[in-house]
Amino acid sequence: MTVRREKAERLADEELMPLIGAKDPEAFEVFYDRHGGVAYSLAYRIVGEKAAAEDVTQEAFISIWRSGARFDRARGSVRSWTLSIVRNRAIDALRSRAGKAPKLTFDDDAVLEQRPSEEFTDDEAMRRETATELRDALGGLPGEQSKVIELAYFGGFSQSEISRMLGVPLGTVKGRMRLGLEKIRGELAEGLA
Amino acid sequence: MTESNHERWSEDVAAYMLGALEPEQAAELERHAEGCERCREQIRWLTPALNALPEGVERLEPPRELRSRVMAEVRADTAAEGVGEGREGADERAANDLDRLRREGVRARDSRPGLAGRASAWMRNLGSGPMGLRPVAGVAVAVLVVAAVAGFAIGGGIGSDEGAQTSTVVAGKAPGVTAKMISEGDSGTLHLANVKQLPSDRVLEAWVQRDGEVEPVQALFVPDREGRASTELPDMDGVEVVMVTTEPEGGSKSPTSDPIVTISIQ
Repeated sequence: MTVRREKAERLADEELMPLIGAKDPEAFEVFYDRHGGVAYSLAYRIVGEKAAAEDVTQEAFISIWRSGARFDRARGSVRSWTLSIVRNRAIDALRSRAGKAPKLTFDDDAVLEQRPSEEFTDDEAMRRETATELRDALGGLPGEQSKVIELAYFGGFSQSEISRMLGVPLGTVKGRMRLGLEKIRGELAEGLA
Repeated sequence: MTESNHERWSEDVAAYMLGALEPEQAAELERHAEGCERCREQIRWLTPALNALPEGVERLEPPRELRSRVMAEVRADTAAEGVGEGREGADERAANDLDRLRREGVRARDSRPGLAGRASAWMRNLGSGPMGLRPVAGVAVAVLVVAAVAGFAIGGGIGSDEGAQTSTVVAGKAPGVTAKMISEGDSGTLHLANVKQLPSDRVLEAWVQRDGEVEPVQALFVPDREGRASTELPDMDGVEVVMVTTEPEGGSKSPTSDPIVTISIQ
């Protein structure tokens, strides 16, 4: 039996997942409305094309629906789990497209210019504010650290490939990744303090 | 492996979390971490930083059509499996999602006959004469997205804002299959998704109907691993119906199976 949408909206993500696993479309609709925006944004950030980003987002959400939402609470939040699925599919799409390099900068001005001038909800506005703070944290990284993180996470390159691309030793790439993530983590911790 | 060689693996933890290790390296690190509390603690500590990466991406508003497409697939699955609200209710919701898609994307046209009735009408008329559908009316760019549910027709007219072209989905035969028809000028491209893998001796073949006569497009294609398949329709002039069937390797002169998706062009 499906739950009414209003009821589903009051449930936490972790409570929605069992309903989605039981093929409740109302619960899935709420789940999509909560995370579809950031999922699409991430997909676009990685693949760099709107049509491809739509395909990636659609495939990721349908895979979650059809797999019965096999969410493991021990592996983090529903949102981070969902975004990891989107990221993996986007990287696969990127790799399958020969000759197209990923975008390699945190500068999203060009993307912003293409955004429709639609009003955001309060919830989305709050998330955007959080996103801005996070982006500031990423932007505050030394360039060599943000580059290796970007190439790995948004570009899907291995540390060995990054080492060859940048012409730096593998150990240096490892170190920059570690230092970069630790710096972001430190800034997040400061923000919570 | 124990914590005794933690230092060796510690330097790889960040690369592991960023997905930058080769698969075998990642598997090795995971095996090590099972017995290394310090590595597990390092992963726990860095996880919020990893989660911050996608959250820091500049936000875009996803197209409303994307939501409609996703939910249309979900409703179609529900209808095909007969779960939850019941098959009839799910069919109705699937149709509503498609209606919303049409309203959001392009201007809707005429009212639709009953879904099942239209499906059976198509099956009766398969390859046997005029379909009673209107001919192509224009050449502007138009995109049609449909979800096909086994044994049911899902459709209705859609058209460009200029009213230059409309299309109608008459019937679908394959559960979960979606189709996107992009027409430009006198040519078109048909994109299918969620197509089941075919036996090695079967292919997809596209057909068009003009003046009631079904003719092959003479382009054979197969779905990729993801279930996606596309084919060009070089001559859409006067086409009333586009459909796709599975045929023996090498194609057929006329359809030998029920269409997995059928689109009426108005």
